Amino acid sequence: MSEPRTGRRHLLLGASALGLGALAAPPVLGQARPFAGQTLNGAAFQSTFFEYLRAFFPEFEERTGAKLNFNTQAFPVYNQRTDLELSTRGSALDVINVTFIYSGRWIGAGWLTNLSEFVNDRNRTDPAWDAADFVSGAQSAMQDARGNTYGFAWEAGAMLMAASRADLIDQAGKAMPTTFDELIAACDAVQGKENMSAFVADQLHHWNWIPYLMGHGGKVFRDPPGNLTPELATPQAIRAAGWYAELLSKYGPSGVLSFSDDQAMRTQIAGRANFRTQAITWLVPLAKHADSTVKNTVRYALMPAGPQGNFPGSNSHGLGIPVGSRRKELAWEFIKWALSKEMLNRIVETRGYPSVCRRSVITGEAFKQAMTLNGQDVASLYLQVLELGGRSGYMKYRTVPVFPQVGDTINRGIARIATRQQDAQASMRQAQQDAIQVLQRAGVTLDAN
Amino acid sequence: MARGGATRARDRFYALCVAPSLAVLAVITLAPAIYLLVTSFTPLDLTRPETAWNFARPFENYRQMPADSRLMNSLWVQAKLSFWTVTLQLLIGFGFALLLNMRSRFLEALRTVFLIPMVLPPIVVAIIWKVLYTPDISPLHWGTTLLGFTVPALITHPDWALTAIIIADTWQWFPFTMLMTLAALQMMPQEMVDAAKVDGASAWQMTWHVTLPFLKGVLLVAGLFRLIDSIKAFPLIFILTEGGPGSVTEVTNYYSFLQAFNFSFLGYSSAITVVMLAATVLMSWAIIRLVGWGQHGD
Repeated sequence: MSEPRTGRRHLLLGASALGLGALAAPPVLGQARPFAGQTLNGAAFQSTFFEYLRAFFPEFEERTGAKLNFNTQAFPVYNQRTDLELSTRGSALDVINVTFIYSGRWIGAGWLTNLSEFVNDRNRTDPAWDAADFVSGAQSAMQDARGNTYGFAWEAGAMLMAASRADLIDQAGKAMPTTFDELIAACDAVQGKENMSAFVADQLHHWNWIPYLMGHGGKVFRDPPGNLTPELATPQAIRAAGWYAELLSKYGPSGVLSFSDDQAMRTQIAGRANFRTQAITWLVPLAKHADSTVKNTVRYALMPAGPQGNFPGSNSHGLGIPVGSRRKELAWEFIKWALSKEMLNRIVETRGYPSVCRRSVITGEAFKQAMTLNGQDVASLYLQVLELGGRSGYMKYRTVPVFPQVGDTINRGIARIATRQQDAQASMRQAQQDAIQVLQRAGVTLDAN
Repeated sequence: MARGGATRARDRFYALCVAPSLAVLAVITLAPAIYLLVTSFTPLDLTRPETAWNFARPFENYRQMPADSRLMNSLWVQAKLSFWTVTLQLLIGFGFALLLNMRSRFLEALRTVFLIPMVLPPIVVAIIWKVLYTPDISPLHWGTTLLGFTVPALITHPDWALTAIIIADTWQWFPFTMLMTLAALQMMPQEMVDAAKVDGASAWQMTWHVTLPFLKGVLLVAGLFRLIDSIKAFPLIFILTEGGPGSVTEVTNYYSFLQAFNFSFLGYSSAITVVMLAATVLMSWAIIRLVGWGQHGD
């Protein structure tokens, strides 16, 4: 038996073959722990999704060899910090939440990385990851006019109505309201019953009020995103503002104008307030939260409709990569992992997360089971709202780059009416004037009248 | 001649010693102030990079200010906040200092207790008052409900929101004026007190004609410190009211912050800040001229 001879020529041939193989194979897949020693810095606002996802972080670290440093802050704090960080094109963050109301601004300013390049490169993304599976309504806020994608949605907020004590509504001989008038009648019927306020809302009026504005036939901007002339002092807007401010001041608990999202949710969970119209994320805990005292009495419905139709708010938040990040490949690995079908299904199955944006997950059995709340099929309500928002495009107003400024004037306008500082007409005229000033300062061209 | 040379050498040596500190001071104080001033002449908007060094209309931000009703309102809110917080802190601080100006172990312990609000981080103070002012978790509201009357939610009531901020700010900072006044009181010459007593001065006359003139300089300094600090009021407003309801508690400092960090209008915000800085310096100078400085020893 002779030993095979290993000459220089064989070695060179072998090395060449290995080199060619390495060039042909996807570079990331070719390494067992391709990001060993790297740290991924991420940030988002506090949400149950990241709370659930955090439990799986060790799996990602084990698979990639990278360390995850992911921080969450309160919603306004996160937005302020990230806005500032992005504006400097800094490299402190590698993966961030793309906040709905800031998405137009961040994408328009060129502060986010174009993820279409990552999706279309099969060396970076396996086609089985299936980017088209994300619900188009949720993804629309993450894209620019050319159709490039800058984020993938992890949450779709669909505004519903929840009554924490539907039994009191039944006792009063009322049904779940389907119109604005019925909502007022139902609030009248249950106000003060068992020391409960009939209605509760958080202080983000620029989110909560808009469906009521549109239901009354009003608009925020004349024709967004092309024409951003504000429409806050029209008769419809004035009527809607007065109506909503009355809803808050007459039926809301003491101090409702300073309530945060969480505070409003806890008021319902504790059985101190009955109706709320808000994104599903804040309503599901009424049926699922360990501390909830209303698990057996909660009931869900679509937002009530106004004289001009039904316009429940819908939004989405996504994961994106700042343009200044130095670890874009690792950040993309994280996004793919966190928003894969497998991971989202696991989060739905183990935690009952209600706001997923992948169609295959939403239509799955696990989601339907998780969203059957107090015997009610809430999953179908959720899909109805997403479809409403996606079909008519009435949510376009919200992703224009200047919405944060105009939203602030709306918040203050509603607060002035609810606290009787001004009547609806005077307050909304001032809001309109303030909005014009900030829009002009932002360089937006407005119609003359 | 030789003495003059030695003096010059000594002066040069002192100048060399001080130079590094002055250089550091210039970098960390003057450079940002100059940048602020320069930025105020541009329409700098973080979402529009082309606005960064655009000096085409250098006074545009300043021109817009008088027409900005929110800014004008914020100046009025600022004036009310500053007036009431400084006045109350001086009065309460002075009163407590008179009461505590005695040698007793109990009073010494009490002095330390009174200092606690002042040494707490501002954000902690804001959270304490947020709890006190939020009806569904507040012991204050719980107590008044038990007594049979209802107190409105102070921070969302337009007639009470600013008062709520004034109360919280006064609670936090009256110990500062108390501490300064107490320190001055303990240095007051006993002969002055004895002479007034010999002249038959009553306690009220003693306070009005002897103690107050003696403390004038200290009270002025304390008042100036508090005035400048009141113009910088931020954490209480940020946590308690966010400037609301409406714009009832929106002071200029907070409005400037919104313009810069919520709306990205750094140019406009810089212009507001420059005006605030100039107003603060002018006001301090005017007060010192009006009341006098360092006259208490006369």
